[in-house]
Amino acid sequence: MNRVQNTKLVLWLITGLAAAVVLNRFVFGLGATTNLNDATPWGLWIGVDVMGGVALAAGGFVITAIFYIMKREEFHPLVKPAVLTAFLGYLAVIMGLLFDLGLPWNIWHMIIYWNPHSPLFEVGWCVMLYTAVLLLEFSPVPLEKFSRYAKIRNFLMKFRFVFVLLGIMLSTLHQSSLGSLFLIMPFKIYPLWYSNILPIQFFISAVALGLMMVAFESLVSHWLYRRAPETHLVAKLGKAVVWVLGIYFIVKITDLAVTGKLGLIFSGTWESNLFIIEILISTLIPILIFAIPRLREKNRYQWIGSFMVVFGMVFNRVNVGGITMLSATGDSYFPSWMEITVTLGVISVAALVFLFVIEHFHVWEIQPKDPQSLPETPPSFDYSSRAWLGTPDVASLTKFSLAFVISFAIGMALMPEQKILGKGIEDVKVYRASGKDTLIINGNRDNYFVAFPHKDHIKRIGENNCNKCHHLTLPGYQENSCWECHTSMYKATAFFKHDEHTLNSNAHIKCDDCHTPGKNRTAETAKNCIDCHPKYNFQNLNNVSDKKYYALSYTDAMHNLCVSCHMIKAKELKDKPNLAQCSTCHKTGFTKKLEASIKWEISSPHFNQVILPEVKPTVEKGE
Amino acid sequence: MSKAILTDITKCIGCLKCVSACKEINNLEMDVPRVWQKNDGLSAENWTSIIQKPDDHYIRKQCRHCLEPACASVCPVGALHKTDSGAVIYDSDKCLGCRYCMMACPYGIPRYDWDSTVPYIRKCILCYNTRLKEGEQPACTEICPVNATIFGERKELLKIAHQRIKDNPDKYINKVWGEHEVGGTSVLYLSDIDLGFLSYNTNLGTKPLPETTAPAMESVPFAFVGMGGFMLGLNWIIRRRMELKKENGNKGKTSNE
Repeated sequence: MNRVQNTKLVLWLITGLAAAVVLNRFVFGLGATTNLNDATPWGLWIGVDVMGGVALAAGGFVITAIFYIMKREEFHPLVKPAVLTAFLGYLAVIMGLLFDLGLPWNIWHMIIYWNPHSPLFEVGWCVMLYTAVLLLEFSPVPLEKFSRYAKIRNFLMKFRFVFVLLGIMLSTLHQSSLGSLFLIMPFKIYPLWYSNILPIQFFISAVALGLMMVAFESLVSHWLYRRAPETHLVAKLGKAVVWVLGIYFIVKITDLAVTGKLGLIFSGTWESNLFIIEILISTLIPILIFAIPRLREKNRYQWIGSFMVVFGMVFNRVNVGGITMLSATGDSYFPSWMEITVTLGVISVAALVFLFVIEHFHVWEIQPKDPQSLPETPPSFDYSSRAWLGTPDVASLTKFSLAFVISFAIGMALMPEQKILGKGIEDVKVYRASGKDTLIINGNRDNYFVAFPHKDHIKRIGENNCNKCHHLTLPGYQENSCWECHTSMYKATAFFKHDEHTLNSNAHIKCDDCHTPGKNRTAETAKNCIDCHPKYNFQNLNNVSDKKYYALSYTDAMHNLCVSCHMIKAKELKDKPNLAQCSTCHKTGFTKKLEASIKWEISSPHFNQVILPEVKPTVEKGE
Repeated sequence: MSKAILTDITKCIGCLKCVSACKEINNLEMDVPRVWQKNDGLSAENWTSIIQKPDDHYIRKQCRHCLEPACASVCPVGALHKTDSGAVIYDSDKCLGCRYCMMACPYGIPRYDWDSTVPYIRKCILCYNTRLKEGEQPACTEICPVNATIFGERKELLKIAHQRIKDNPDKYINKVWGEHEVGGTSVLYLSDIDLGFLSYNTNLGTKPLPETTAPAMESVPFAFVGMGGFMLGLNWIIRRRMELKKENGNKGKTSNE
């Protein structure tokens, strides 16, 4: 088994899945793919991709500061990979942002429309500038391979120190201003996390995270390519991180003490427990691990320690960026699987690019080789033997392409139709009006009840004229109520019940009785209702010839408002009571009988979903 | 000439005429319950709503048009801004859809077109384009049959509000909601019940929210230059030290030999 190949395969699978989600996000919008809502407009993508991504990229400025500014030459092997990670991290941030922004094609507006008061404006500019600086900082590495760009490379190398310095300055701003973003939400963020010095806390934790990200990355890539790990360097980073985490912890606790929030830590709310867990993972346990020289030198503890800091600090960003607001907003946001997939996909793409770059350019002292990577000369097709020469190498590429395509297809197939196409409309079922002689109609489901004297209407219109109101009737059953076809309040629903025609039918209908034999059995190849049910009354149904047996949503069928319809009707009527006047029907008030049936209506289970006002019936005046 | 709205909760009868007037003038579509809506009645298609509370209390919720709006201060492209007339208006051409305004608003007012592929922020703009610019009052205050919600100069409305409290001290809670909250808002409330539920925190304080980020934003140039200076200084000291060490080392070596 090949570690590199398998890792790449998994990354490609995730990328394919994420690509399918991204396609749907751009075709159907944010509401169709995410669980974001009006109470939680920032979710996983901002919390992990943007906030976490920036934090993870902190390794770049930390290691360049150590190497170029503090002149610790021994860290040289870690510099290039760290700068590369930072660059890819920022590209991942931009990628995540493009998916999350509602109007991503306007992202460049920050360049021309300025609002210097906004922390996000500063963040945006820092991302743009720092990405550019990182590109300039890293580009000598790939340029090394092409001798014709030697001049450009030399030019860039000359100014490397300037780029490094600029990079550190921009990172300082950027890491801290991510904290400034949340200063404006003192009422939303739980007090344990909210602080006036959030920017400073974010900066210090970014330094710690940067150190450990470099360590973790070194450990992962050495595991991946089965090489001896740089244990001594990681141990040195561990030694440094103890100090940084120590400062972070002291700053955080002092700030809580000064603002008098220390007691909240042990208040027992879920937030306080979350806080304790976060501090333990991100700060206290790693300090313990790296402060003990015996543990610090051991590869296994380095893995644990560095992962805890990396995870813990990203966790901190996610907590500040959303989780701790849930109490204030009263929302129960949890990311949809599609959001999670995209987040993983963004990370996967960055990882794949990282692996590509380290395999093809001189990033490490010893350039690693994917045992099954492409040879320098492309494979050729041998016509005589009808086979590809050099196929073992193409096989891996084929495998990855297949993985991508297949998981993309699976992703498309998994798209929840209801969520993607449903426009977020809640399913509100329509039920039959209750009562016998008099129906109680809560037509718009807005708790305005109407008592409808059904018996009177039968008398008025005549016994056999049901279809004056009941426009479509089933054979043998003349007075279908509205709710039987218009089953959903806001959505069009199919009213042709396939199961009732096959499974529940006494007529033993076979497939070919309705569908044209030999063709696909779809609605298009089926007979019309009227072919079997000549008595069927289609007088008001215009689209029945389309064979789209869909009933309009209840509100559409009722023209949205009972009252407005009544108003129009009232104009047509002559010598008839004014139906647009509530008192025309409601003059007698509720009878005892009616009151009882309203109470029954309210107590019945299907009314649980609506909040009902107290019904105050007027005194009975006889009927 | 900062205009404002004063809503008297004790007068509102909950007839929803303001809601339908708002829909009509802003060409808003029929409101259908969506999964992403909050339960306060506001949505992308509903810019004002009536919240019903026990004992026939009807509270009209709408954008508060803060005097120093958090939403406008955080918008990275300045798509939201407070006009002289008092309205906080939205320029959809500038917007890039970051939804920071929704995060920043202490009242949770701005809503989003979640189902659209070209989504915009939606909120009450005090009928700025359709009426306020021409000097007319918003549709909601005009249509109110019982004058529960009225429009006028902010200063005068505050006077009216305090006069009403003075005339009926038993009827009202002695507080004009929006007078000092987060630096003052252009939509004021008089009430006989607590209106803390309209915001994320029952006590918002009087400090305008943009002031929370101001110190951080003002120190940006200093942090930038300071960090650069610090790094250069550190670099200089370390280099100098290394040079001295080298010299000393060389000296030591030569003396040993």
